[in-house]
Amino acid sequence: MTKKFWIGLIIILIVALMGVYYQKFLKNPHCAYDGSPVTPIYEVDIVLKEKSTKKFCSIYCATQWFKNNVTLIDHVIVTDEIRGNKIDSYMAYFVESELITNETNDNRIHVFQQRQDALTHAEKFHGTMTDDPFSLDE
Amino acid sequence: MLFVAIFSLSLGGFLFLLTIKTLLSFKTTVPLEDKSKFERKGYLVFLLACVTLSVRMIVWPWFYFMLQSFVSEVPGAMCMFGVTQILPSTVTFLQIIKPISFFIMGGWLLCYYVDKSTPTAPLARKNLLFLLIVCGVLLADGIGDIYYVIRMKPLMSVSCCATFFDVPLRPSAMIPQAIFGRNFQKILFILYYLSNIILIILLLTGISRKWESLTPKYRMIILYSQYAIGIINIPVVIYTIIENIAPKLMQLPYHHCIYCFMGNGMVPDAPIMLGLFVIGTFAIGWMGILRLLCKNGEARLITERLLLKGNNVSAFCFLASIIMVTIHLILI
Repeated sequence: MTKKFWIGLIIILIVALMGVYYQKFLKNPHCAYDGSPVTPIYEVDIVLKEKSTKKFCSIYCATQWFKNNVTLIDHVIVTDEIRGNKIDSYMAYFVESELITNETNDNRIHVFQQRQDALTHAEKFHGTMTDDPFSLDE
Repeated sequence: MLFVAIFSLSLGGFLFLLTIKTLLSFKTTVPLEDKSKFERKGYLVFLLACVTLSVRMIVWPWFYFMLQSFVSEVPGAMCMFGVTQILPSTVTFLQIIKPISFFIMGGWLLCYYVDKSTPTAPLARKNLLFLLIVCGVLLADGIGDIYYVIRMKPLMSVSCCATFFDVPLRPSAMIPQAIFGRNFQKILFILYYLSNIILIILLLTGISRKWESLTPKYRMIILYSQYAIGIINIPVVIYTIIENIAPKLMQLPYHHCIYCFMGNGMVPDAPIMLGLFVIGTFAIGWMGILRLLCKNGEARLITERLLLKGNNVSAFCFLASIIMVTIHLILI
């Protein structure tokens, strides 16, 4: 194997590490409640009235922050666990099941865009449909 | 895209006619007074072919850039898959013909390189005949491109990729499940590493010093094994990417869309991973074309040298692709 071969492999190694770094630290922000990295599939975005956004790693963290800052909040965007689509929380289906999304805070609430996905999850992981934890009373 | 398609199609059409004309007037021995004219004409045909084919080869990744650019225009589209739902049969045709044309154009350029490197151009006739086939594919590809760009109107609402890639009866799950049973994802994953590693070992054997000391029989066995595993590796890699790698790397465990993986920027280096796999696989095929067409007489030495380089490139691409995937799987 030539010198070029090894140099090429080192370049590829650097590219892959940069890709991982981007995914872990640049693309995925940190939770505004507990500081842990936000996994895209469980991301919750709380949009404030002054138009800035707070990102959270789980429903648990988002609800904890939500309870103390209700007056500041405009609306909440959650992520569909199946497709990764971002949807307004009032359009989403929430299921509390035995499956834990985040072991550090024991979050068991799951979000789905489609009712059928929520029912399938509830059946599979012994869960029940729950209300939107981010409902803003007018 | 439309400009490139029209430009390459007109060049391709001209090249096709010129190639037929040159082939019809082709003589193995040319009188001395006509030699210069004949050489100039041949040189022009091949130069034109090199320019046209190089442009057409770039069109393959460009096509996906174009599809990605349409995502925001098509109602309901979340990724390139949504765009492919408009004129689906044309897109399917283009998605099939583009890798084929990339492959045979690459093969032709390598054959031309061998011919050009020899003083008497012994492969000129073979190259012209091969160019005729290449031109046919080029024309079909170019016409397809123009038809698609002109007819494509993002007016209808399309479905999201999840309705195709994430359903339990998706083809990428059903086919491996029919072969390997319920635990197909695990088996596919093992098979992915196994076939790639075996392929890399076989390719590295081709460039090692031991290669010269092997008997012709063993060499043939290794070569045919390379081709066979290279072909088997294609569906194995595609299914493993869709079923295992893409969901893990995108951090969307239930989402199997290869278009999201490739173009949504969730995994920024995903196109490099896939590109390396494609080049690695095609390099094996290109070596096959070289062995088939260029391994006689004067061109033998240059072909051997090029085959060695091809082996090296292929082994490098597979190794690099597998390293990138592994690093992501471990660190994500």
